[in-house]
Amino acid sequence: MVSRRDFFTGAAAMVGAGLVSRVGAASLPEAPMMDKAATQPPLAPPNGRPYNPVVTLNGWSLPWRMNNGVKEFHLVAEPVVREIAPGMKANLWGYNGQSPGPTIEVVEGDRVRIFVTNKLPEHTSVHWHGQRLPNGMDGVTGLTQPFIPSGKTFVYEFVAKRPGTFMYHPHGDEMVQMAMGMMGFWVTHPKDPGFMKVDRDFVFLLNNFDIEPGSYTPKIATMLEFNLFGFNSRVFPGIDPMVVRQNDRVRIRIGNLTMTNHPIHLHGHEFQVTGTDGGWTNPASRWPEVTTDVAVGQMRAVEFDATDLGDWAFHCHKSHHTMNAMGHGVPTMIGVDHRGVVEKINKLVPDYMVMGERGMGDMVQMEMPIPDNTLPMMGGQGPFGSVEMGGMFTVLKVRKDQKRGDYADPGWYKHPAGTVAYEWKGATPAPARNRSPGGKLMEPTKKPANVELNVRNPSGHDSHH
Amino acid sequence: MGFQEYMPGFRPVVLGIAALALAGCATFSEDGGMNTVSALTTERTGQSIQLAKPGHDTELAEKNVHQLLGKPLTPDTAVQIALLNNKGLQASFAELGIVEADLVAAGWMRNPGFSFGRMRTGNDVEIDRSIMFDLLGLLTIPIRSGIEQRRFEQAKLQAASQAVRLAADTRKAYFNAVAAQQTVQYMGQVGTAAEASAELARRMAQVGNFSKLDQAREQAFYADATAQIARARHNATAAREQLSRLMGVWGDKTAFQLPDRLPDLPKAPDTINDAESQAMQQRLDIQMARRGAESTAQALGLSKASRFINVLDVGYASKSETGAPRGNGYEIALELPIFDWSGAKVAKAEAIYMQSVHRTADIAIRARSEVRESWSAYRTAYDLARHYRDEVVPLRKKISDEMLLRYNGMLASVFELLADARTQIGSVNAAIETQRDYWLAETDLQAAINGSGSGGSSSTQMRTPASGEAAQEH
Repeated sequence: MVSRRDFFTGAAAMVGAGLVSRVGAASLPEAPMMDKAATQPPLAPPNGRPYNPVVTLNGWSLPWRMNNGVKEFHLVAEPVVREIAPGMKANLWGYNGQSPGPTIEVVEGDRVRIFVTNKLPEHTSVHWHGQRLPNGMDGVTGLTQPFIPSGKTFVYEFVAKRPGTFMYHPHGDEMVQMAMGMMGFWVTHPKDPGFMKVDRDFVFLLNNFDIEPGSYTPKIATMLEFNLFGFNSRVFPGIDPMVVRQNDRVRIRIGNLTMTNHPIHLHGHEFQVTGTDGGWTNPASRWPEVTTDVAVGQMRAVEFDATDLGDWAFHCHKSHHTMNAMGHGVPTMIGVDHRGVVEKINKLVPDYMVMGERGMGDMVQMEMPIPDNTLPMMGGQGPFGSVEMGGMFTVLKVRKDQKRGDYADPGWYKHPAGTVAYEWKGATPAPARNRSPGGKLMEPTKKPANVELNVRNPSGHDSHH
Repeated sequence: MGFQEYMPGFRPVVLGIAALALAGCATFSEDGGMNTVSALTTERTGQSIQLAKPGHDTELAEKNVHQLLGKPLTPDTAVQIALLNNKGLQASFAELGIVEADLVAAGWMRNPGFSFGRMRTGNDVEIDRSIMFDLLGLLTIPIRSGIEQRRFEQAKLQAASQAVRLAADTRKAYFNAVAAQQTVQYMGQVGTAAEASAELARRMAQVGNFSKLDQAREQAFYADATAQIARARHNATAAREQLSRLMGVWGDKTAFQLPDRLPDLPKAPDTINDAESQAMQQRLDIQMARRGAESTAQALGLSKASRFINVLDVGYASKSETGAPRGNGYEIALELPIFDWSGAKVAKAEAIYMQSVHRTADIAIRARSEVRESWSAYRTAYDLARHYRDEVVPLRKKISDEMLLRYNGMLASVFELLADARTQIGSVNAAIETQRDYWLAETDLQAAINGSGSGGSSSTQMRTPASGEAAQEH
């Protein structure tokens, strides 16, 4: 997780790099670069219309240049090395030094000019997902524009008409480029900064990669068997927390550029979906939820009042998505007696240890060496031990004394006495069980053989570990 | 026999002179030719040989063998034992004695004979007395002695050749036996891995985590592995028995110990300068062929000079075949040149001479080719063995290490880990086979340069290691 120090020095990491020849491109705005994967502080607008900036989880917002009333941005599509979590880096394609690219924040009614320089080995384009714009600015290669060849710069220009939550991504060789991490967030703020004002506005994209353990580059042809699921190309435990002050109005905006839907779930609070792909939802139509499904290609904005102090889990509810790389072909070892066999295996593989005999939780504690550039399947140390999670998982930290605008990690929540689950020390009488097999809708025509399940209490052979 | 005629009334004076003149070369040598054989063998194998004679010599050899068998065998001690103990070799040494006896006999004149006959027809009594001398025998003594001398020389070369061949065969049997024993050990490990998989699969099925199909698959591999182990064990026994036979051991002595592993590869392969010309000088079959050609040349000269002494068949003395008993011999016939002045005979002798010359050239050409082939086999075997040692096995090990890391991260199952362990063992086994092949090729190369060659190309063909393939089946 990002430390307090890292967080504040983050802004210094933004470096201006003259990627495009200054002589030949005097008219091009600067293309700022980012070399850190930590969450950067919100970018307060230095000019133009005022707005309440968002915080991009493990990301940053792109500065712009005002040119005769037009907001000019410069995106550079290029190969990047992104830290997925400490201990693992990935060769991705992204924008301006990171994947996902920087968040673009504009205000409703802004005229926006975006220079896109292609530093990729192949052609690309940018599609401004969800925007109302002239057809020729929609960024679909072949259909609405020629592709941007490698080494060339194209210009997109349109008025950000509709306030809301958007994304950008390539629409040329889309499968490859998105599998490689080409994507970014876009927020069009309402003209009136007081409209649906919140205290904290977090944004991130959902994304998935298939990076073989021990390798660095995503497999681009994967369709479903992804092994890394992240928020903004970061995975737990390498992900930053969402830090808020108690009673803050919090908005979390999520865009889904993965290949599957993600039921995003918040602990301890109910939220309402206040925005979708299409704009703000009608307040009358909102209902409270603790999980909202974000389908493929969709954006959702959820809002809630952070009333309850604590460290609240926030994650995708597909349990595989809160794991890091794991073997899907691994057989279930639960309940398998390894006595005698282990010695035989140890003769051949001296460092072999039994795992999974009692479930997979064990292995989180073991910390055995794993392949290079591979994250443990699950992990992350909390105040009470391993969190046993990975991937799309982070923590909402609600604190009383967190200063307005302060996003630094306040550390673990200190629970008031008597508010943590505790061990029962009294007698545990045998539970009264109902032995009835339950009702039957239809009698089977053929009686199955009487299967006797040999249920054993997990008794663990600790000597093996 | 053509020359066992007698001629009564030969003058004793001539006989006396002839007998005196020939007496010098008609004795047995002290060593029976063994010193020459031993020198030839030592030069080529580094080991001396001795002939087991009745008496204390046998005991000494027994004692030597006993002592050598007391320690784990090395290629050299195995060869030493074979040279001391192999009964086939001793039999061929005995042949040397037989030939020498012929040689000595050839230098001696046949004993004069005396006959007395008495016949009675009615009242007449006829007494017939005669003294017989082997005139032809006497006349042909120098020829016969020369022939026998050459036969004796051939026999010595033959004996040395057999000793050198035995040494090579023993070395090869030794390497085969050690490698086969090592293979058994590694196949045992494959078996352990298979057994662990099968047992784990059984237990997984027992608690409901595995289907019958999955369990049967693991069980099937174990069953196959068991069969392979049985084969490997038999192969080890067969290889060991081959060595036992060549060393001529039986009874208690078959309990000899072999080292656990083959000798290491040398740091660098031998560089042999001008292996072909070395072979031309060293090879025993070439020397034999050359001597044979010389003999026929002499026989040809004799035929031309005498024209009435037929020594043609001597030419065949150079003919020797591996494994087959030698069919050497000669025939001398004395003819009276009344009708035929032996033009045809000389022509035949010339043809036979040319035949032996071509045969010698043929053997030399084959030998040169064999040396080149053996050299290629040797270098390839060395490079392959080093490749397996330095590349294949470390890579396999690396793969296994990475596999374990994947297992640790729950990215791979224990069954994949075990399957990989089996593959790794298979590669180690293949490495042993290449190491063995190196030593076999080294022996073949030495035989091609120094001995009489291995005779064919089949032995130098590179094999694909079998055990590695088998282990990867799963």
